[in-house]
Amino acid sequence: MDALVRELMPYVGRVCGAIALDRGDDAMQETFVAVLRNLHGLREPAAVHGWVRRIAVREAIRVARAARTEVLDPGALDRGAAPAVDLDAVVDVRSALAGLSPEHRAVLVLREVDGLSEAEVAGLLGVAEGTVKSRLHRARAAFARRWAR
Amino acid sequence: MNAPGARWPVAALGPIARARALAAAVPGAASAEGVLDAPYDVAWPWVADLEHSVPRFDAQVRALRVLERRPHGDAEELRIRATSFGVSLPFTVRLENGFCLMQARRRLYLVVMAAEPVEEGARTRFFHMEAVPLPGTRPLRRHLRRAVAADLRNLTRLASSGF
Repeated sequence: MDALVRELMPYVGRVCGAIALDRGDDAMQETFVAVLRNLHGLREPAAVHGWVRRIAVREAIRVARAARTEVLDPGALDRGAAPAVDLDAVVDVRSALAGLSPEHRAVLVLREVDGLSEAEVAGLLGVAEGTVKSRLHRARAAFARRWAR
Repeated sequence: MNAPGARWPVAALGPIARARALAAAVPGAASAEGVLDAPYDVAWPWVADLEHSVPRFDAQVRALRVLERRPHGDAEELRIRATSFGVSLPFTVRLENGFCLMQARRRLYLVVMAAEPVEEGARTRFFHMEAVPLPGTRPLRRHLRRAVAADLRNLTRLASSGF
């Protein structure tokens, strides 16, 4: 069990950190509690990465939502076209992410950090592909708007 | 854009959180957590010297002998033998800064100890778990709960008196 935790730690840390921000450490603990408790039910060991990703995203959103006090609606920031931007060029990704809802952060991290397709993100989050497109569009636009300040 | 850029926020699983996650998942685990009145830089090296520390704070362990130790990345792997109630059990141990996992052969017994500095390192949060993760051992849990609570009390007392 501990060996699995060690192996998954870097990946889960990236997902939970980007979605749950300051509560990322708590989300990470909750993720591993859920992973280890349900490990016996995993039918295909080869699918462990995708299964853990799903749990990490779910727990990170849940923890972030519980901790949320005031989050800007990215849609209200910019409903215009999303410009092409290089996310790695951002000096303070954290502050830009903090302006997004946990759900928008999840879409962004799964696309930009994890490299999933929009269809894969939609399947993982249980939402329509169109919803992923619109969340991504708004998240990127909100990012761009904050950088431009 | 797909590269996990270093600037993205990354969460961490500290030793205590890692131990809590294991304790929540291991069947039949009993755990105790508290704050030791000793600086982390003193408390953890003392605890990590298993040969001397464990028999002093764990009343069930009469003796512990380190048979072999070798570095393994950021950790050390140890083979030890612990004598408890007249029975000598071999364990494999993974020892890291703030984290110790002891596993008896065939997973007969599992012990986790974890520590983190609190109050800027002036005191030490300590987590202790023991488990017999085998089917049908649920009745042992009450005994284990008492044992880990007693271990933590002993450790707290030892820390308060400067070990």
